Amino acid sequence: MTPPISGTAPARSARLSRREFVRASSLMAFAFAEAGLAKSVRAGEKEIGLASFGGSFGESIQKFYLDPFEKQTGIKVLLGSNASLALAKLQVVSGQRAQWDIVELTGAEYETAIREKITVPLDYSVVDASAIPPEYKGSHGVKFVLYLNVMAWDASKLSHAGIPKTWADFWDTTRFPGKRSMYSRLQGGGTLEFALLADGVAPANLYPLDVDRALKSLERLGRSNIIWHETNAEPIQQLVSGQASLATTFNGRVLAANREGAQLGYTPENGCVSGDYLSVVRSSENKREAFDLISYIISNASAAAEWVKATSYGVPNIHVPAMLPASLTADLPTSEALKGKVFLKDDKWWADNLQTTLARFKQWQLG
Amino acid sequence: MKTSDGKAARSRYWLLAPIILLYGTLAVLPLTLIVTHAFEDGLDHFRTIASSVLFWPIVGNTVVISLCTTAAAVSLGYILAAAMWCSRPPLRRVLLAVTLLPFWSGVLVKNFAWSALLQDNGVINGLLQTLALRSAPLPLLHNRFAVVVGMVHYVLPYAVFPIFATMLGIDGTLTRAAESLGATRSVVLFQIVGPLTLPGVYAAALLVLIMAGGFFITPVLLGGPQNMMVANLVNYYANELVDFGSAAALAVTISIGVAVLMLLYHRIPKEGQYGRA
Repeated sequence: MTPPISGTAPARSARLSRREFVRASSLMAFAFAEAGLAKSVRAGEKEIGLASFGGSFGESIQKFYLDPFEKQTGIKVLLGSNASLALAKLQVVSGQRAQWDIVELTGAEYETAIREKITVPLDYSVVDASAIPPEYKGSHGVKFVLYLNVMAWDASKLSHAGIPKTWADFWDTTRFPGKRSMYSRLQGGGTLEFALLADGVAPANLYPLDVDRALKSLERLGRSNIIWHETNAEPIQQLVSGQASLATTFNGRVLAANREGAQLGYTPENGCVSGDYLSVVRSSENKREAFDLISYIISNASAAAEWVKATSYGVPNIHVPAMLPASLTADLPTSEALKGKVFLKDDKWWADNLQTTLARFKQWQLG
Repeated sequence: MKTSDGKAARSRYWLLAPIILLYGTLAVLPLTLIVTHAFEDGLDHFRTIASSVLFWPIVGNTVVISLCTTAAAVSLGYILAAAMWCSRPPLRRVLLAVTLLPFWSGVLVKNFAWSALLQDNGVINGLLQTLALRSAPLPLLHNRFAVVVGMVHYVLPYAVFPIFATMLGIDGTLTRAAESLGATRSVVLFQIVGPLTLPGVYAAALLVLIMAGGFFITPVLLGGPQNMMVANLVNYYANELVDFGSAAALAVTISIGVAVLMLLYHRIPKEGQYGRA
C-alpha cells in the first residue's frame, strides 16, 4: 500500500492505514507494558548483583557459592566480572539503584571506598562473622578469599635450566630466556613487590614500597621483555601459546588451567598473599539480601571447603582447614608450610598511595 | 511534493519524530551528559588533564601513530581503488569482496589474528626460522609497528571507498581526449586523472585520521603501554583513577581537536572535474 505522505493520496486509504497504524502501535505499547508488568511481578523473587572476576574464577564462585545459595534461599544472584573501585563508584554516582549490590574490592580499593563513602557498614547482626579472625573483618566489608600471586611457567616448554624459585630467578633472562607476562593492575597481584624482592629487598623491609627502586628493577628486567596483562586469563593463555615463558598469576588460575589439560607449574614460595573484600554499595536496594549472601559465603564452611578444594584459594573461615585433605592444605596461602615464605600485601600502604603510585607507574610505562 | 493546505505539510514533520527520538536519546543525550560532566567544576578538570605528565606524551603517540596509519592506509587504499577502477567487472567484484572481508570480523578477532601472526613464536617468525633466514625471532609484536599494522588492517576498507567513489565519477572520455591531443601515459596519470582523484584522497585521509585517532583496543593488545593513545588515557582516568570529570574533559578536548581537523579539511582546495568540488 502506498504510504499516505501527501494530500494527493486517496482519503479513504489514508484513513484506513492511519487506523491500522494506531492499532499496531497501541498493541506494541500494550505488549511493552505487559512485559514491564511481568518483570515487576517476577521481582517477587529477589535478584541481587555480585561483581567479581570472570573466567575460571567466576565459574567456581557460581558453582560453589551462588547456586547453593539460590537453592537455599531462593535469592537469585547475577554474577558480573569487572570488579573494581570504578565500578563501585559508578553504582553510586549514577543516582539510580545499584546494578551490582556487592562489589569485590582489593584491600586498597576497600579503604578508598570507605573514604569516598561508596560502601555501607556491614550489619554484623545479619552477617555471621563468628568464624572469621578479626584481621579479616572490616567495618564496611569482610575478606572472603585469600589469593596467592606467584610465578608460573609452562612445564612442557621450560628447558632443563630448572624451575625459577626466587624473583631473582624470574629476573634472570639468561637462565630463563623469553618474555615475562606481568600484572599491570598494581592494587591486585604484587608486581612492584616482586620487583623489589628481585632487587634484593628482604620481605620484612618491603613496606613502605620504594617505588623508584621497583621501577628501576623493572627497567633492569627490560621493557622489551615484559608483556603487561590486565586480566587474569591472559597470562595463562600467553604461557600456553608460548608468547611468554614466565608469568605472574594467581595460583588458582594455574590449577584451573591444569584441570583443563594444561601443564603449567608454579612456585608458591615468595608469593604475595592478598585478600579481597566483599562490600555492599550505598545505592543498593537489596541490602538485606546482600548481607545474607555475604554471610553465606563467609560462614558456610562446607560450601567454602568445596570451593577451596576446587580452586586452592584460601578462605579466612577457621573451620575450613579441618575439612580439607592434608595434601591440599600445604598449597593454601594460609598453610603452615608456607608460613614465613610468603608475604602479605599491605592494604594500608596501598590505600594511602594508590593514586600516586598508579600515576608514576603509568608514566614509567609510557617511557 | 505539493500539498493543497499548509496543515498537511506541517503534520508531515511528525514523521521526523522517531529519528529525533532515537538519535536524541542514543547520541545527543550521552554527549550532553559528557559535556556537563566535563564542565561541572568549571575548568578544573581541563586543568587536571593539561597538567598531567601523561597528557603530552600520549597526544604525541596518538598523532604519530595516526599519521603513520593514515599515510599507509591511504597509499595502499589508492592502489587498491585504482586496481578496482581499472579492472573489468569480474575482477572488480573479486577485489571488492576481498576489500570488504575485514568487515566480517570484529576488531578483537583481527587483533588476536595479528597477535598470532606477529608473536615471537608466531606464523611469520616461524616461517623465517623454517626458511633459515633468521635464528632469533624478529620483535614484531608489542611495539609501534604492530599497532600500525593492526590499525591499517582495520581502516583500509574505509580508505578505499571514498577514493574509489571519486574515481568512478571521473569521465572516461577525458583519457581518450588527452591521448588524442598527444599526452603520454605519465601526463595522463599525473596531470589529468591523478589530480581529479585528489578530493577522494583527502576525504579518505580525513576519515582514516579521525578513526585512527580514536583507537582503543589495538594499542593495548598489539602495542603495550608505551603506545598508549588518547582513548586509553580516557579509560585510565575513568576506570583506574575513577575521575569521571577529567575523563569527560579529555573526551571533550578530543572532540574539539577532531572538529578543528574537519574545519581544516573544508579549507583544502578540492577541485573536481567541473571546478571546485
